[in-house]
Amino acid sequence: MYPRWLWRASALPGTVWLFLLFLVPLYAVVAIAFGDVSPIFQLPVPVWNPLDWHFEHMSQVLTLFAPSHELWLVFVRTLIYVVAALALSVLIGYPVAYYIARFSHRSRTTLIVLLLVPFLVSYMLRMLSWVNLLAPDGYVNSVLTGLGILRTPYDWLGGHGFVVVLGLVYGYVPYLILPLYATLDRIDQRHLEAARDLGASRFSTFIHVTLPLSKTGLLGGAAIIALPMFGDYYTTNILSGTPDTSMLGNQIDFYFHGGPQPTVGAAITVVLAAFLVVVMSYYLFSVNRAQKEMHAV
Amino acid sequence: MRVGASAMGASSVAPLLAACGSGGGSTSSGGGASNGGGSTPKGPGGIALARPNHPVTLPLDADNKAIPSGMKPETGGTFTVFNYFDYLDKQVLTDFGKKYGVNVQLSTFDGIDQGIAKLASGSVRPDVTEMTPDKLAEVVAGKLLAPINHSYIPNLPGNVLPNFQSPFYDVGARYTVPYTMYTTGIFWRSDKVTQDIPSMSNPWEIFWKSQAYKGFVGVLDEPRETIALALLRRGITDINTEDPKLIAQAGKDLEQLSSICNVKVNETSYQDIPQGRSWLHHAWSGDPILAVNDYLPKGFDRKLLRYWHAPKGHGPIQNDCWGIVKGTQKPVLAHLWLNYILDDKVGYDNFVNYTGYQPPLKSVTPDTLVSKGIVPETLRSAVITENDFGPTSLQEMTLTPAGLREYQNAYSQFVSGV
Repeated sequence: MYPRWLWRASALPGTVWLFLLFLVPLYAVVAIAFGDVSPIFQLPVPVWNPLDWHFEHMSQVLTLFAPSHELWLVFVRTLIYVVAALALSVLIGYPVAYYIARFSHRSRTTLIVLLLVPFLVSYMLRMLSWVNLLAPDGYVNSVLTGLGILRTPYDWLGGHGFVVVLGLVYGYVPYLILPLYATLDRIDQRHLEAARDLGASRFSTFIHVTLPLSKTGLLGGAAIIALPMFGDYYTTNILSGTPDTSMLGNQIDFYFHGGPQPTVGAAITVVLAAFLVVVMSYYLFSVNRAQKEMHAV
Repeated sequence: MRVGASAMGASSVAPLLAACGSGGGSTSSGGGASNGGGSTPKGPGGIALARPNHPVTLPLDADNKAIPSGMKPETGGTFTVFNYFDYLDKQVLTDFGKKYGVNVQLSTFDGIDQGIAKLASGSVRPDVTEMTPDKLAEVVAGKLLAPINHSYIPNLPGNVLPNFQSPFYDVGARYTVPYTMYTTGIFWRSDKVTQDIPSMSNPWEIFWKSQAYKGFVGVLDEPRETIALALLRRGITDINTEDPKLIAQAGKDLEQLSSICNVKVNETSYQDIPQGRSWLHHAWSGDPILAVNDYLPKGFDRKLLRYWHAPKGHGPIQNDCWGIVKGTQKPVLAHLWLNYILDDKVGYDNFVNYTGYQPPLKSVTPDTLVSKGIVPETLRSAVITENDFGPTSLQEMTLTPAGLREYQNAYSQFVSGV
């Protein structure tokens, strides 16, 4: 019998890790958002004590997040891209995860390895490879014009929102598939068999049994890919590069990359983080409810 | 509306200005900062804002003196060069290390602001650093650079264009030697762009008449350069203006480019133009030279590439420089680096074999580059001469923090695409 404190102590390394690498940096961003800039170098000067915070930068950034203002419009564009990319990722990722979990008995390991292979190459390089593939004289245009689908090469890299969305899907979909596969794989086959024995069709079994039981994995995978998508800036930089497809991450990058207003970049980061906390709260609430429903089954 | 322009308002700007103008304090001791105009606005640390027609002598500090003459170079250990990632041929580093018996390493930054932030925080401790003239007042006021002793740098008077032996931003070359020089102009493909750009009454206007090239037009991803483009398009040659109305108008003009040509914002014209991803681009003169030497697809006719830059006084001309980092443990070697980079062969090879950005050396002329085939006749305009500089030339230089904010806000509005 182990003492009770031992189990609690085992969480200590993770807690320290989380504190040092998440909470402290997060607070540093907040301290910069409410801080100042150095007079000569215009570098951010964090103000650690909340009693000394300056609120003018945050208040003005919040003004710009008001409907029809600059950052609101960029936020809406970002939201549309992320929601579209998320929906496409689910449409693509769910069948793949479902197939691997349910039908790929002997090829399962191979398929999982193939899913993991993209992780061996950096995200940036994978995106850069698309620049060559989508170039006016690239393979995509060559194939499409060769097959007669296009008469002339299409300007894929000319600044199109749908190309950015496809780029996000390509970059992040493996992160959705893996947790989804893990959840689908754990579904007790007897539940499915019971549904079939009770007269449910394959489709009905999927809708009423498989889908609800995979909800936690689906939500988890969606959260894993949605969070980085909201802060993404290099996908649109590489695949578009036009102001019309600029995302919120580009604005943050712009203010942090140089110039006299790093506080504004930090304030935008804090606002985005606050929004994501709301989204994550819904995720946690949904997962909690789904788990209760699962236990009730 | 922009972050800060009307939102932050003057109330937040004024204290900061005061802090920069006087609070930073003069670093003058002995050789104080001075300027030709006498009434120009003050920048970081109270140093006057240098302009081509308002030369500035940077201050010297009693506790930051140049090394004495006649010292022997340090040997052994590591000598660290701080620069952009792709702005120096690695062979130059290797050869310098071999010549002076030292291990040379390159430490890099993405942008000059990031480089200065690293230097100021002490997270890097290089021996020499690349620097831009518009940031020079900042780094001198912040005491990040050491003054130089010219006796170690005979190549400065020997090889360098006269204009750079005592440049307007650092009269007497107290802290820097020049590295590269370049104009900002228009880079295009003559097989795709039908207008005769040089013969237009105002060639900068081409970007606002580029509907036919939608999706294949780009501007530099650099607030100062791009706002300057919009100012010049309206015939405003004060590219260091801090007038909020002019800057805001320039931002509005840039916003039009999205609907006109779905403009791209990047710094990769040297790759995009020859490879067909862009046909018309706002570019630096080093870009076409880099393009013809390193990025031409097989079978591509290099004569199709064209570059235009405005006559003196109507378009930006810039330069970069090198300085010695204060506190270096290898000060003599740091001086020798400054001398080495100004060697005729080293500077030429670094330019031709790697950077594409012209060194300010007397030996590098349009005629020599064209005759050697480095630059085709059609790109002769990408090569700079001594005559392109002078008091009437335009160079994007140091601004006050309030001015910088105006540029940043206008540019932010443009790149947000709203």
